[in-house]
Amino acid sequence: MIRNFRELYSYRGLLLSLVQRELKARYRGSVLGFFWTFLNPTLHMLVYTLLFSVFMKNQIPNYAYFLFVGLLPWTWFSTSISAGASSISDRRDLMTKVRFPAQVLPATVVATNFCNFIFSLPLMVVLGLFFGVVPSWHILAFPVVVLVQMCFTFAVVYAVSAFNVTFRDLQHIVMNLMMLWFFVTPVLYKLSTIPEAYRRVLQVINPMSILITSYQAMFYEHRLPDAVPLVSLLGVSLCLLWGATQIFESRREEFAESI
Amino acid sequence: MANPPTEDAIVIQDVVKNFRKRTIRGEYTTFKSELVRWLRGNRVSKQGRFIESLRGVNLRIPRGQTVAILGRNGSGKSTLLKLITGIYAPTSGTITVNGRVSALLDLGAGFHPDFSGRENILINGIILGMSRAEVRAKMDAIIAFSELGEFIDEPVRTYSSGMYMRLAFSVATHVDPDILIIDEILAVGDEHFSKKSMAKMTEFKRLGKTIVLVTHDMATVERWCDQAAWLDGGRIRRMGTPAEISAEYRQAVSLAEARSTVFTPPALTEGGGALPGLPEGPPVTDAPKPVPQVAVSRVWLTGPRGEELGTIAPETRAEVCIDYVAREAVEDVEFVLTLASADGPVLYATSTRTDRVPLPTPLPPQGRLRFVLPRVGLLGGAYVLSVELKTGNNANPEAGREARCTFSVSTEHDDRGVFRPEHAWVVDEAPAAPVQAVSVPKHAAAS
Repeated sequence: MIRNFRELYSYRGLLLSLVQRELKARYRGSVLGFFWTFLNPTLHMLVYTLLFSVFMKNQIPNYAYFLFVGLLPWTWFSTSISAGASSISDRRDLMTKVRFPAQVLPATVVATNFCNFIFSLPLMVVLGLFFGVVPSWHILAFPVVVLVQMCFTFAVVYAVSAFNVTFRDLQHIVMNLMMLWFFVTPVLYKLSTIPEAYRRVLQVINPMSILITSYQAMFYEHRLPDAVPLVSLLGVSLCLLWGATQIFESRREEFAESI
Repeated sequence: MANPPTEDAIVIQDVVKNFRKRTIRGEYTTFKSELVRWLRGNRVSKQGRFIESLRGVNLRIPRGQTVAILGRNGSGKSTLLKLITGIYAPTSGTITVNGRVSALLDLGAGFHPDFSGRENILINGIILGMSRAEVRAKMDAIIAFSELGEFIDEPVRTYSSGMYMRLAFSVATHVDPDILIIDEILAVGDEHFSKKSMAKMTEFKRLGKTIVLVTHDMATVERWCDQAAWLDGGRIRRMGTPAEISAEYRQAVSLAEARSTVFTPPALTEGGGALPGLPEGPPVTDAPKPVPQVAVSRVWLTGPRGEELGTIAPETRAEVCIDYVAREAVEDVEFVLTLASADGPVLYATSTRTDRVPLPTPLPPQGRLRFVLPRVGLLGGAYVLSVELKTGNNANPEAGREARCTFSVSTEHDDRGVFRPEHAWVVDEAPAAPVQAVSVPKHAAAS
């Protein structure tokens, strides 16, 4: 794992350039350009707000802001996974024609989506101010939560992208799983609305619920995230990451041949 | 470098490379297909799942040399290059590479059509192993070399294919590697640009870089390379001088064609689909075979001062020396001399009988014939001289056997055609009398 990341660090120039290019490519040729970063989550937010706040009469105050707090990190995670799944298998040109460090590709996807996440944070803050929610000092814990999510995302993306080289339909399966995953993660609703009996189970089997509730704690509830689940998740993520890099490294030599 | 300094840039030892069959057939495994197979209870047998592409390659590529790898389509050339580059890992065996490798296996890796040429240079350069600072520093040189002018700031998708290749080639050649690996891509762009890329290659050679080249263009091989390796049936069949190897390779191919061997993909064929072996003729070297009555033991070319030459200039005097050995008193012997260009066509053929050469009868036990050319008169390129021995009574087991030698003509002239006639240009002030031809070329021999 250490070796994998050291190598990744040594290719940081490549990673940086690829991320830059991905970001530029996403907005090139569109009239609104950079504003798509804001537009996408905003549209999502509007749809869900309409659905849950107007039609279904949700009782959560400042629902739009609450939703946004959970939606942004979720988008980072889910887009990383679904785009990361095919990140290696789609780049035959790079994998078979030049000596190319394979882990840069999934890392690029995670990093690009991370940038999008960071870029859309100001919008979240502005929306909060609009509802009269002023960020409190609790957001100091933000980097820690981001770090945990980063580790977890990397672990999943590495494993999924490596397997997708041999099992091509994995990417489609992943897409559907992400949809399911979204609904068992407390983004649209509060964790407290889940019956007590299931809540524990959900928190244990769904790491994303820990992360999303942590963001909600900091930005929406103005308290520090619960330390115990977060720290244990960090431990679990590191283990997963170790396992995922092992899988990735062991399959790496086959990538060029199987693509 | 920590390694002890070696003479060899690349050392390949007993390298075997197998591919899974499914990757060759182009079917992807999916969860669905695996599930279906599992439900049906099909187990794929262990044998027959692999395809042997390379079956034990041993190759040393000395530092600073240009080495060509020849072989049929599918004989494993590209696989070998990819192994050297590190894209593939060998199934067994070791590959040691001393120095920074840059591979021109495919041009324009990672080009993004929506980005300008300039932006793509950056990404492509980094992908090929340069640092950002390095690419920035070389940016102007790369743009100048590509001759794209102001198109460099246009998106790559608007480029013509020639422009695209030029840009890609420019980046690739500016990587500044120790070892350059090239797969069939020297012919880029129009004549002007391909001259430029050739010049770039010459520069690489001059700087003492190691170049490994795969090509089917024998002229390139003979002009550029110091050595050639012939990859056949997943093994190195021969390694030697380019002229030797390419002549032998051509012969084997034409032999296979003559025997109407079906050209199947070698890796899928039993025994690796190697080309047929050549009849054991006495090639370039001497060593007279046992018991022939008469045999040509050696043919070679000498220069103006009688020294043996492999390369000669078109305007010099040359002699073809033919050594023969006669065990018995043979009468009625004919030496047939054929000059052919290395890629096949016969340029000239004559024999002692045609030219009514008085040979001593019977032939002395040993002797030498000299075929004197006051002036070589050939264009630049590689040629094959072969001498065939015919006896009247046909009792000679060696009759019909030939000895050959290859040589090349190097010239600074840019003339084209079949041969170089003796000529001179005369510029007259005004056409006074009917134009008189002064040493103007006679009729071309080809007509």
